[in-house]
Amino acid sequence: MVNVLLAAATVLCVLGFAWLALAMDVHWKQVRNDQPSASTAKVLRVLGGLSLFVSLVLCLFTAHATMASLVWVMLLAASALIVAFTFTWRPRLFSLLVIWVKATN
Amino acid sequence: MFQNFRLSMAWLHTWFGLVLGFVLMAIFFFGALSVFDREIDRWAIPESRFAPQPMPSFDNLLKPIFADMQPGKADLDFVRDKVNGPLPERFDTVVTWGAYTTHRDPVLNIFAGYEVPNAKEPDVTVFSSRTIDPRTGVLFSDDQLKIGSGFFYPLHYSLNFHWMNLGYWIVGFSSLIMLAALVSGVVMHRKIFRELFTFRPKKSTQRSALDLHNLTGVVALPFHFFFAFTGLVIFAGIYFPIGHTQMKSLHDQHEVVEAQETGLPHDRAGVAAPVASVDAMVAEAQRRWAERGMAGEVGFLTLRHVGDANGYVSVYRAGTDRIALTGEGIHFKASTGELLREDPPSTVVASVNEFLTGLHLQHFRHWMLRWLYVLGGLAGCVCIATGFIFFVEKRKRQYAKEGSQNGRIVDAMAVTTVTGMLLATLGILIANRLLPASLPEGWPGRGDLEQYFFWGTWVAVMVHAFLRSAPVAQGKINPAWSEQCLALAVLAPVTVLLNWITTGDHLVKTISEGYWPVAGFDLAILVGGILAFIAARHLRRKGKGAPQDATDFADAEVQHG
Amino acid sequence: MSTSTLSARHVISRIGAGVLGGYAFVWGFIALGIAGLYALDVPFHDAEAVSNILGFLLFLTVFLWAFAARSVNRVWLVLVGGGLLMTGIATLIEQSLV
Repeated sequence: MVNVLLAAATVLCVLGFAWLALAMDVHWKQVRNDQPSASTAKVLRVLGGLSLFVSLVLCLFTAHATMASLVWVMLLAASALIVAFTFTWRPRLFSLLVIWVKATN
Repeated sequence: MFQNFRLSMAWLHTWFGLVLGFVLMAIFFFGALSVFDREIDRWAIPESRFAPQPMPSFDNLLKPIFADMQPGKADLDFVRDKVNGPLPERFDTVVTWGAYTTHRDPVLNIFAGYEVPNAKEPDVTVFSSRTIDPRTGVLFSDDQLKIGSGFFYPLHYSLNFHWMNLGYWIVGFSSLIMLAALVSGVVMHRKIFRELFTFRPKKSTQRSALDLHNLTGVVALPFHFFFAFTGLVIFAGIYFPIGHTQMKSLHDQHEVVEAQETGLPHDRAGVAAPVASVDAMVAEAQRRWAERGMAGEVGFLTLRHVGDANGYVSVYRAGTDRIALTGEGIHFKASTGELLREDPPSTVVASVNEFLTGLHLQHFRHWMLRWLYVLGGLAGCVCIATGFIFFVEKRKRQYAKEGSQNGRIVDAMAVTTVTGMLLATLGILIANRLLPASLPEGWPGRGDLEQYFFWGTWVAVMVHAFLRSAPVAQGKINPAWSEQCLALAVLAPVTVLLNWITTGDHLVKTISEGYWPVAGFDLAILVGGILAFIAARHLRRKGKGAPQDATDFADAEVQHG
Repeated sequence: MSTSTLSARHVISRIGAGVLGGYAFVWGFIALGIAGLYALDVPFHDAEAVSNILGFLLFLTVFLWAFAARSVNRVWLVLVGGGLLMTGIATLIEQSLV
């Protein structure tokens, strides 16, 4: 159970950072050819922030709060690296995360 | 010193980073290895490749071993000049016996401290320590170097340079510089959030090195900051020994008060007394922990004033479920087993301190967090290494124009600390597997020889890096980078192969048996070798390619003064 | 940034101020913290721990300040003077307690 929760926390952390990054024009353009609308960017930021928060909550279920928060902080670092390197080498993978956003032009 | 704050921070970041970055690199790397120090010990001492053991019975197993212990020659050398006249043949007055283990230790570390008669100052103690197999009580040879906990780990915090404690001071100063480099780095970096996820390997080496420098520095910023900071806090007693110098009278006053409050005798009574069943005391301590809802194993067991009426036994819990390093110590009168004291819950300040030190010393049982720490440490290494590369790349045209050799020196030092350090690490592991179990009379100890191999390899690859550095003065890549990467790519599988040949523990066996301490280390070495091979190929291609275009980092110039 | 505007003497003075001056200042701070808190009935090791933790953060701050401040002489004055002053007060407190 603990392992499942930690795995979910990790996935959410990666998703969270990916959405936060996609809210930025530079990274959106690595994934899609159009522009995100202001409201889309906002939704992405909320989604991203929410995922990171839920990830923390999941961590808190797995261990003593001091240990759990430390795990989460270190997960943030690892996920940010994963997201950055995915944007470098396989940016199109992230198009799945914005598949619900209609093309604007 | 400069027109503005940003420029003064940039100066500080560049020059202090350059000078101490080499030390910091070693601190980060061997710190990352120390996360798995006990597992590396297993690899280095094949006789200890079995499952972690709980604290064994004191009455049946440990007591006779302790009773037989006496300080060895090396232990006596520490106190020889602290006594008037010769040292006695035997040491009979036991100040302390102790046994220490963790949830990752198959073997048990035990130590004994003896009062030294005729000492020039009071309270001089001579210590002796041994490693035993807790299942049988068989002693391990003193000659076997625990490469993880006995070499890489102390290298991490003292550089294994003990003359006048200088190693600690260099590490401490480097930690302060690490903190200063982090703050100044944040000040210099204008686009922390905008470029948080940015790495562009296809741009110039200078630009991509800066990207990677920023990326690894920023995403692991809390890790870098807290580890440098808590490292300083852990050794505060060495860096600011105020309690033992200026404030000694307050400290001593407090100790007397504390001894009264706790009821744990500070000195011997001078009346002989036997030791009751320690196993019963351990069982009672465990019962009391369980009562508090924190059942646990014993991590540290110690007896004070052994054989005296004032003797007492302290039982500490192995703190595997918390970050904070606490022991929940329970103390018993040695002669009767009567409960003397249970340590009260920590004060707020003590809890903060225990959290900060525990976060760094990691006694907890959490494998994922351990690996994340390794990642943090390696991110620190990448951050520092790319800092060097950026330094050289940024200045190489200017150096080439002026005919300056400065770039060569920095670059060769960078090779030495990046690939050179990895080669030295493989060097000690290979020496560990190749040296025979017993060496001819008159040779240095086996463990000493392994250490000589480590430093010897490091010096040799440094010489290589400097000898091959001429192209740097023309703005080209030092071929030592790719050559040493290639050496790593060859030696890494050789190391794993030697482990197989000399112990029979090949990866298929260790993985199928689930013996991860050895399998994990073998796999990590192999992954390192593969990465080195990719890097070697990449460097070779880049070395042959056209000179790079240097137009895409105009903004970097401004930032990095 | 051009290094030509920096005389070697000035740079060494800055580094000395940051490292040695900073050390003296933090020594004084920790000593004063231990003595002062102990006088206020804080247990010795708590006083020591809290002073150490804050002391290292203070060291970082004054070290950076030594390089950012306009006048290096003032840095020397504040850090060494302040360090000596705090060390002196700490000793006075200690003597009144023992």
